[in-house]
Amino acid sequence: MNLNEFWDYLIPGISLGALYAVIAIGYTLVYGVLQLINFAHSEVFMVGAFAALLVFTKIEPSNPSGLMSVGLVALGFAVSGLAGAGTAFALEKVAYKPLRVRNAPRLAFLISAIGASFFLTHIAGKLFGRDPKPIPDLFVNKKVFEIFGARVSVLQLIMVGAAIVMMIGLDLLVNRTKMGMGIRAVAQDAETAGLMGVDINKVISRTFVIGGLLGGCAGFLFGLNSQVTYTMGFFPGITAFAAAVLGGIGNIRGAMIGGMVLGIVESFSAWQFGDEWRYVSAFAVLILVLMFRPTGILGERLGRTA
Amino acid sequence: MIKIALPVVASALVLSACGSDDKDDDASSNPGGGNKPTYTIGFQGGLTGKNAQLGINEANGVKLAIEQANAKGDLPFKLEVKTSDDEASPDKSQSAAQKLIDDGNVVAVVGPAFSGPTKAASPNYAAAKLATLTPSATNPSLTAPANKFTALLRGTPNDNMQGSGMATYYAKKLKLKTVLLIDDKSEYGIGLAAVAKADLEKAGITVKTESIPQGTPDYTAAATTVKNSGADGMIYAGYYQDGAPFAKKLKEAGVSIPMISGDGTNDPEFIKLAGAAADNWYLTCPCADANVEEATKKFAADYKAKFNEPAGTYSAESFDLANMIIEQMKTFGAEKITREALLNKLKAAEYKGLTKSFKFDQNGEYVGGAIFLYQVKAGKIEYLGDIDKLSAA
Repeated sequence: MNLNEFWDYLIPGISLGALYAVIAIGYTLVYGVLQLINFAHSEVFMVGAFAALLVFTKIEPSNPSGLMSVGLVALGFAVSGLAGAGTAFALEKVAYKPLRVRNAPRLAFLISAIGASFFLTHIAGKLFGRDPKPIPDLFVNKKVFEIFGARVSVLQLIMVGAAIVMMIGLDLLVNRTKMGMGIRAVAQDAETAGLMGVDINKVISRTFVIGGLLGGCAGFLFGLNSQVTYTMGFFPGITAFAAAVLGGIGNIRGAMIGGMVLGIVESFSAWQFGDEWRYVSAFAVLILVLMFRPTGILGERLGRTA
Repeated sequence: MIKIALPVVASALVLSACGSDDKDDDASSNPGGGNKPTYTIGFQGGLTGKNAQLGINEANGVKLAIEQANAKGDLPFKLEVKTSDDEASPDKSQSAAQKLIDDGNVVAVVGPAFSGPTKAASPNYAAAKLATLTPSATNPSLTAPANKFTALLRGTPNDNMQGSGMATYYAKKLKLKTVLLIDDKSEYGIGLAAVAKADLEKAGITVKTESIPQGTPDYTAAATTVKNSGADGMIYAGYYQDGAPFAKKLKEAGVSIPMISGDGTNDPEFIKLAGAAADNWYLTCPCADANVEEATKKFAADYKAKFNEPAGTYSAESFDLANMIIEQMKTFGAEKITREALLNKLKAAEYKGLTKSFKFDQNGEYVGGAIFLYQVKAGKIEYLGDIDKLSAA
């Protein structure tokens, strides 16, 4: 094992893992308050990427650099975050709330989630075309930094930086604010929280919006790193869901750790065994961890850890 | 889909069955009386729908060949052309073929254009003993003897030969020592990579292999693998849709070794997706650029004059195949031309066309095979020429 190569693969692993972590938070938050796996979350991620793609193909930035690049990246986050949040909000209202009001069985939620996911995937394919498209360059600065002999691109720095900011922000939001207290209360015991005056519907809706915001931003970063296509949500979505389970579903910090672990495992397996082993090793790790710790690395649920 | 498709296919079958009753007879009517008999050369390919441009390129090539042959005035017969649109779809291919088979005047067909439709329609053509000369169906398995596609003659090197073309260029022209060979795990990619590997090794080049499945979420790790591989050349056996993001990451990683890919990547879309990262990539194709090659310049000018657009991919090859058929038809002299006799003559024939020489082995496979090299330069796919000639120089 060559130390230089180690860093060469660790860094893309971390940047990919950071994205998985941000997406995984969306799964885990919703699970926390609803005990429901929102399988359409991967499509919230895809919609975020498309929003950025549409805006930037309209603007067509030519050789942006300096302040303009910063502005463009900020615009990208705003647009994709809003699109993600909006999609998640609508998703909750259309696909989940009617079921919740009627006390539908668990299975109905799951089917509704999968249906919504398919619907969004294919409506995006219909509307925006089924061929992958790249987001135009937002910064000409392709400067690469050397860290421990490994090359780190500006984009990778943005990916990791944004993910860290989002994760810290979310952690503070959930643990330190009144809104966060509401989320934790509903997660712990929805019925009692309702009796204590927490508006459960509002909390659930907000949880979706927060998850959607993060998912949309992750979609933007992912699109910048590769391409945007209507099926792009599937693999990152499944991997992020696995990351949430790996860290302990319902546990926000667990989702962050789970995402990082899977990202790094993927990158290292691409190094050691070749790219085709990427998902094989990532999911082998998931199964191994769950064999010994069925509740995931950190275990427990949202309400109880906080 | 099925509910709609079935009645359509059924009615098409009924229609074509009706058609066959009265159209079978007058193949070469009125041979005497100074009137020349009329024969038809068919064309089958996608003329509408997805990827229709390729079919249109080819149909136009055939039309031009027939127009020029008639104009020359030395033919003992009069030629007509009949096109049949299969929408580049295997589902529509059999009824498109039937349309040509049922027309007794049709003595040979150029096409089908794509591998899928060719596979679907070839049993029908074989039963009708109607020769089909395809300019562009490159799937290697089409000519497997077990298929019994006895009327299919392939007028182009198949996908396998591109792999050897790449190996030749790397070994003889660039004189590389170690080549990293990457496939995308698709049937096309694996096949191409396997041939390239064998030929590279034959030429004494060390080959390292990697597989990066289509749809990999992040090509950063793959680009790092290329960078650290120590290879002095790379082959990507895959399609442009994954080739493009990969090219971007390779550029970011600072990889500057020669990179080559096949006709799966040889498309302007590759440049659109990869931007400046596509620059310097070599791309191969069994197709020559008719607008550049000396031998096809006159053809290209005639084509432009008639159709008001430059000759496209496979136009000149289709022109050649139509002329090959016409040449064999001439050998009949005043004799009546039958499908079976023409098919047998074509199987044994050798024809020197504008683009290349055409000759078939006992399975109908193309013999020989020039592979042409292109390179992306400043955002455009530029034509370099025949790989064998480039490598010999």
